[in-house]
Amino acid sequence: MGDSWMLGARHRILTGLLLLLLADFAVARPPYKQALKRAFGDSLPQAMHACSTCHLTRQQVDNPAEFDEAAPPHNLFGIRLAKLGDELRSRNAAADIIARLDQIVQEDSDGDGIPNVVEMVSAHNPGLASDKPTAEEIAATTKAIEELARRRSGYRWEPFQPVKGAAVPVARRPEWNVNPIDRLIAAEHEVRGLSPRPEASKAVLLRRVTIDLTGLPPTADELDAFLADSSPNAYQKVVDRLLDSPQFGERWGRHWMDVWRYSDWAGWTDGKQIRDSQPHIWRWRDWIVESLNDDKPYDQMVREMLAADELSPTDNSSLRATGFLARNYKMLSRETWMQDTVNHTLQAFLGLTVGCARCHDHLYDTISQEEYYRLRSIFEPHQVRIDRVPAEADTTKDGLCRIYDAELTVATYFFRKGDDRDPDKDRPIGPGVLKLLGNIPFEIKPVPLPAEVYYPGLQTHVRSQLRAAAEKEISTTAAELAKAKDEAKNAAKVAASPLDVGTADSARVKESLAELIATAARLRSESITARIAADDAKYSAPPSAIAYHLAVAANKADREAAFAQSLVDVAKANLKRVAALIALKPDNEKLKQAVDAAEKALTEATQKRDAADKARQDASDAYDPLTPVYPSESTGRRTAFARWITDRNNPLTARVAVNQIWLRHFGHALLPTVLDFGQNGQPPTHPALLDWLAAELMSPSVASAKPWSMKHIHRQIVTSMTYRMASTPDEQNLAVDPDNQWLWRMPSRRMEAELVRDGILFAAGKLDLTMGGPDIDYNDGLKVNRRSLYFRHAQEKQMEFLKIFDCAAVTECYQRKESIVPQQALALANSELTLVQARIIARRLHATCVNDDIGFVQAAYKQVLSRTPTSDEMITSLAFFIQQNRTLNAAGEKIIQTGGAIDDTAKPASNPILRVRENFVHVLLNHNDFVTIR
Amino acid sequence: MGFTGLALGAMLFRDARADSVSGRTGPQSGPHLPQRAKRVIWIFLCGGVSHVESFDIKTELNKYGGKSIEETPYKELLDEKRINQNLVGVNPGHYQRKQLMPLQTGSKKYGQSGLEVSDWFANIGECADDLAVVRSLWTIHNDHGTQLTWHTGRHPRDGAFPTIGSWASYGLGTMNQNLPDYVVLGVPTGDCCGGEWTHGAGYLGPQYAGVRLNVGGANPLPFVVPPSGQILPEEQAGEFSLLGKLNTLSGIDYPDDKSLRARIKSYELAFGMQAAIPEVLDLKTETAETQNLYGMDDKTTQPFGQLCLSARRLVEKGVRFVQIFHGGGGGGAWDAHGELKANHSKLSAQVDKPIAGLLKDLKRRGLLDDTLVVWGTEFGRTPAAQGTGRDHHPQGFTCWLAGGGIKGGVTHGATDELGFFAVESPHYVTDIHATVLHQLGLDPESLEVPGRRRLNIDIGRPITEIIA
Repeated sequence: MGDSWMLGARHRILTGLLLLLLADFAVARPPYKQALKRAFGDSLPQAMHACSTCHLTRQQVDNPAEFDEAAPPHNLFGIRLAKLGDELRSRNAAADIIARLDQIVQEDSDGDGIPNVVEMVSAHNPGLASDKPTAEEIAATTKAIEELARRRSGYRWEPFQPVKGAAVPVARRPEWNVNPIDRLIAAEHEVRGLSPRPEASKAVLLRRVTIDLTGLPPTADELDAFLADSSPNAYQKVVDRLLDSPQFGERWGRHWMDVWRYSDWAGWTDGKQIRDSQPHIWRWRDWIVESLNDDKPYDQMVREMLAADELSPTDNSSLRATGFLARNYKMLSRETWMQDTVNHTLQAFLGLTVGCARCHDHLYDTISQEEYYRLRSIFEPHQVRIDRVPAEADTTKDGLCRIYDAELTVATYFFRKGDDRDPDKDRPIGPGVLKLLGNIPFEIKPVPLPAEVYYPGLQTHVRSQLRAAAEKEISTTAAELAKAKDEAKNAAKVAASPLDVGTADSARVKESLAELIATAARLRSESITARIAADDAKYSAPPSAIAYHLAVAANKADREAAFAQSLVDVAKANLKRVAALIALKPDNEKLKQAVDAAEKALTEATQKRDAADKARQDASDAYDPLTPVYPSESTGRRTAFARWITDRNNPLTARVAVNQIWLRHFGHALLPTVLDFGQNGQPPTHPALLDWLAAELMSPSVASAKPWSMKHIHRQIVTSMTYRMASTPDEQNLAVDPDNQWLWRMPSRRMEAELVRDGILFAAGKLDLTMGGPDIDYNDGLKVNRRSLYFRHAQEKQMEFLKIFDCAAVTECYQRKESIVPQQALALANSELTLVQARIIARRLHATCVNDDIGFVQAAYKQVLSRTPTSDEMITSLAFFIQQNRTLNAAGEKIIQTGGAIDDTAKPASNPILRVRENFVHVLLNHNDFVTIR
Repeated sequence: MGFTGLALGAMLFRDARADSVSGRTGPQSGPHLPQRAKRVIWIFLCGGVSHVESFDIKTELNKYGGKSIEETPYKELLDEKRINQNLVGVNPGHYQRKQLMPLQTGSKKYGQSGLEVSDWFANIGECADDLAVVRSLWTIHNDHGTQLTWHTGRHPRDGAFPTIGSWASYGLGTMNQNLPDYVVLGVPTGDCCGGEWTHGAGYLGPQYAGVRLNVGGANPLPFVVPPSGQILPEEQAGEFSLLGKLNTLSGIDYPDDKSLRARIKSYELAFGMQAAIPEVLDLKTETAETQNLYGMDDKTTQPFGQLCLSARRLVEKGVRFVQIFHGGGGGGAWDAHGELKANHSKLSAQVDKPIAGLLKDLKRRGLLDDTLVVWGTEFGRTPAAQGTGRDHHPQGFTCWLAGGGIKGGVTHGATDELGFFAVESPHYVTDIHATVLHQLGLDPESLEVPGRRRLNIDIGRPITEIIA
C-alpha cells in the first residue's frame, strides 16, 4: 500500500486533483452526470445519476475483456443522445446535453414500450430493454413527472446567456403584486401552497432594516419615532434615511471587503517584512466605503479596482481601488500571487472557479487550460508600488499603495500540468478571455501614461518633500558642525595639558567629519535643485532647448554630491578601523576579526570613493532621477479585461453581484454556491428573480435610478413584502418547506462579528463614528471604540473578540459562517467590553427611573434589544431584581470592596440596587435577541 | 441552575448547523466503524527530531562517520532526482549534506520486543512493548512549513485546511459538557510554519478548531473568567440563571429556532467551562507519586510534565483530542543545525520522562486501551553532518503510536542503512491521520464536506499492519 503511494508523490501533489478527477472522468463523465441532475432536478433517482444511464457496463457487453473503462460504449439511450447531438450540431442548433434530453425524454430509446422519462424517474434504465418498471412503479411516477414537466416548462436558468430580465407574474395577494421581487417570490409560494408570513412588527422591522443597512441597531429615539409615525410611507422614510447615512457605506463596505478579500498587511518585525498584502491598503477600504456611500455604479467600481491606473492614472482617489489587486501580493511566491489574482478575480466578479484549469481543462465548465493562462497573461505585467502622499515623505509610514504594469513584454507560458517548474517555453500565451461567456469585445490598447505618473519625481509634493528634507539636512548638519567646532576649540584649550592630546585630536577628527557631512548635505541639496531644473526642461512639452545642458549640469551636481558622500563614508570607515585597532588585545580572536572586518570595510569604502571620484569626470547628461522611473506606458490588458467583465452582455457579472447582495440581506443566497455559477455549482432557487434583479441592476426600471446602482437594488429589496415578513414559523409551511428555501418567512440570522462588538458600544452610546484612516492595532479592540472594520485584519493580525464570532477568514470569505460556540458566550459574559458598557447603559437609564423597576426594565429592553418586554419577561425580570438583590446583600462586604462610585465605570456599583440593574443590562447584552436579527 | 447532563456537542451543533445558511449537511454522525480509541493525545516536537538518534538507530553511521556518502557502499543514495522527487516548494538553503556524522548518543534494546531506542529517550524505551514505531514516513517540504503538512496533509502554500484534530471533533462530536472537544497545549509552531493553522479547522469552521489552553499561565483561555473584581461568582450565577429564563421566554414565538436552543446550551457549556477549565488544569489534586511520574518534581521536566499530566486529565474528562506542542514558536527548538548533541540532550531531557510518565499513567489507569497516543515531528535529520548538527530531512523519518488498539512492541517500515530514504512500506504523513481516524471508528473517506473535494493525499490510508 505504501509503495504505490510513494511513486511520483510530487506529481501526485501537483496534479492530485487532475488524477483524481481523471479517474472519475473515465467512468463517470462528471459534466454529463451533472447535466442529468440539472435536467431532472430532484426527480432524478440516485441510481440514474450514474454513467450507466447512458453507457454499458463491463457486465453488459459481449466481450468484457475488451471493455475500455476510459471509453465505455453507449447503451441505446446514450446512442440516441449522441446521434441527436451530431444532428443538432450539423444544423447549428443548441446541442447541449439539456437541449438533447429535452427532445428525447418522451421517446422510448430501448424499445421496451416505456417512455424514457418514466424509466428515468422510476430508476429503470432507459437504454436497456431488459430493465423496465412494473405497472405499480409506473403509476407511482405521476407526481414526479408532473413536477418535472413544471420544471421544464418553467423559467430556464441559463447563466451563460446574457441577462434579458424575466417576465413578472401576477400575484394573487394584492400587497404582493406591487414589487416585482414579491411577485416572483409569490409565484413559488402559490405553486407550493405556502402562505407568506405577515409583516413583522414595526419594532422588529426597524431593528432588522437598521442593522441590515448600517450595521448598527436603532436608537431608542429612532424606535419611538418610527412607532409614532403612522404615515403610509413611514417605512420608506426610514429606508431613505438609512441608505443616506454614512454608516451604510461602512456596513456594506465590510460585506464587499469579504468578497474582495480585504486584508491589511501581514508580516513580521513590525512591518519591516511584508509577507502578504501591502501597507496603507486601508485607503482601498476607505475607497470602498466612500464609493458605496456615493452609490458609485458597480461596473465603475469593478473597472477601477482592476485598472484605475490605466483608466484614471492621475486620480489618486480612484487609484486606491487597485488595492483589490495589491492585496494579492505574496512576498514568498509570485506564483501564488498570480494564482490568487486569477482565481479570486474570477470568483469575486464572475462566480467562476477557473483554478481547476491551471492544471487541466475544467471538467465541468468549458474553460480550457490554455484559457486559464490567457487570463493569467492579463495580470502578468502588473506589480505593486507605493507612491508618496503629500502629508508624508516616508512611504513606510504612509503612502498610496497601488498597482501598475511593470514588465510590459513579460511572457506567460503554459505550465505543463500546472507545474510552475515546467513551463512550456515554446508556448507563450497572450492575454485573452473566456469563450464560454459569449462574444464580448475584448480589445487591448496600450495606455500612454502622463510623465508625472510614471516619474513621481515630477509631482509637486514629491519635489517639495525632497527639497524640505535636503534643507533640513543642511541645517542639522550645519548645527552639528558648529557644535563640533566648539568642542574642538574647547578641547584644544584643555589640551594645553600634554597628557590630554587624545581629546583634542579626537575632537578635531570629529570636526573634520562633521565638515565632510555638512558639505555632502549641501551638495546633495544642490544636486536636487539641479535635477529638478533638468527635469523641468526635459519633461516640458516640447522639451526645452537647454534641456541637455541642464541635464549635464544635474549629472555633474549629482556626481559631486555622490563623491562628497563617499568621502564621508571613508572617514567613518576609517574611524571604525581606528576604534577597532585601539580595542585590539593580544590573543583575542573576536577582536582581531573585528579589525579585519573594519579593514575590509575601509578598503571597500575607499574603492567606492575612487569610483565616485572617477565618475566626476563623466560629462554626460545621464543624471539619476529623483525617484524611480516606471514604464511610460501600461499594457491596457487590465482595462480591456475590466471592460469585458462590465460589458452588459457579460452574462455573469450582474447575476453574481445581485446574488451576493441578496445573500447579505437574507442570509440565504438565491444561488447557494455564491462562488460557483458554473455547472458544478447549484442552480438558483429563483432563477427568474435572480435574472430580474440582474437586469434591474444594469437597467433600472425606475427612472430616478442610475444604471448599476446598488442602492437602487437595496431599496427594491428592503421595501419588498418578502423582506418585511415576520421570521416566525408556521406549521403548515414548515411541513412543506422546512428549510424555508422558498422564503415564506424572513430568515433569522446571527449578527456578524463586527456587529456584535459595534452594537454593544453603540447601545451604550460609546461607539466612535469617526470614519476612515489607517488600520488600528487589532490588540486595541476592547479599548479603542472605533467601528470594527477599521481595525487591522490580516493573517495572524485579527482581533480575538471578532475571531470568536467568525469574522471573515482573511484568505477567502465569500460567505460568513454563523457558528454558535461556548467561547462566544464566554466572550460576551466575561469581557470587560460588555461588563463596562452594561454599566454605562444601566447608570444612564437608572438616572431616569431611580425608583421605578418596571420603567427600568422597559427602558433597558428598548435600549439594548429595541423592543418592549412581554409581561412574562417583565415578571421574570422583576423577580430577578428581588433575588439578585438578596444575593448581593448576602455577599455584603464583598460588594463594598469590589464596588465603586457611580461615576467610576471601571468598577461595578457599590450600591446594590444599581448593581442589580447593571447585572440586568449585562444579561440583555448576552441575550439571544441581542446577537440575533429577526 | 439546571446544568444537568444534557446531550450537547454533536447533537447540539448539528442542530445549529442544519439551520445554518450554508445549506451544508452537519457533521458526520460517526463512528462509522468499530471504535478502538475514544480519544487521542497527539504530541508534536517542533523543529525536527533526529530519527537516527531516537527510534530508527543507524549504526552504519558510526561505521562510516566522517566519510562522504560517496565513499560508502551507499553512494547511489545521492541521486538528486530521487531526493527531490517528493518535494514541493523546496527551500534551497537546505540542500542534501554528504559527510556522514556518527551517532551522537548511544542506544539500547528494550522490552520483550527488543525495540532499539536511543539513550536520549530511555524512559520512553521502557514503554517499548506498548509502541508501534513507523520508520518509513516521508513528507513534501524540506523546511519547517511542513509542520503544517504533518497536521493537515497540505503544503503550507496551499493555505489552511482542516487538521487531524478538527476531523476527529467534526466526525465524532463531543463526549463532555464542560470542556471543548479539541484542546491545544504548549506553544504551537511559529507563524513561519503554519502557526494557528496547525490546530485550525480550515473550512470545517471555527467550532472544530483546537482551543488553546495556556497551561500554567494566569489566563488559560480568552475570557474564560471575568476580569478580577468585576463580578462575583454568585452574582454571575444569578445572571446566567436569568439569561436562561429570558432566552427561553423570547423563544416562544420561535419554537423551531435551533440556533436559540444551541445558544442556550452554549451558555450552559460556557458556564461549566469557567469552573471546569481551571479545575482540570489544577494539578495539585494529583498525588505526589503521580506528579513525580511526569517529572513534576524536577525543574527540567516540570514544564512539559505539566502539559502531559494536563493532557491525561483532559482526556479523562472527555476531551476528544489533545494536541501537545513542545519547542514551538519560530522554526522549532529541535532544529539542531549545529551542536546536535547538546540540543537533543537538553530537549530530550525535558520530554522523555513526561512522555513515558504519560504512557505509564494511562496504562495503569486502564486509559491506554482506548486512548491513542501519537508522537511525531515534522521531519527527521540528515544522516550527514552540517557542522556539528544535522540538516532537515524529509525523505525518511519516524513517528510512533501507542494504545487505542494499536499493536505494542512492533516496528513498521524502514529506511535504508543510512536512514536516508523510506524504503520499506513508505508512508506519507496522512497515512498516520487515516490510522488515527480508523482507530476512532471513522472512515476517512466518508469525512467530506459537500463542495470541498478531498484529494487522495489528504485522506491517506490506515496502516493496517500496526493495528491490533
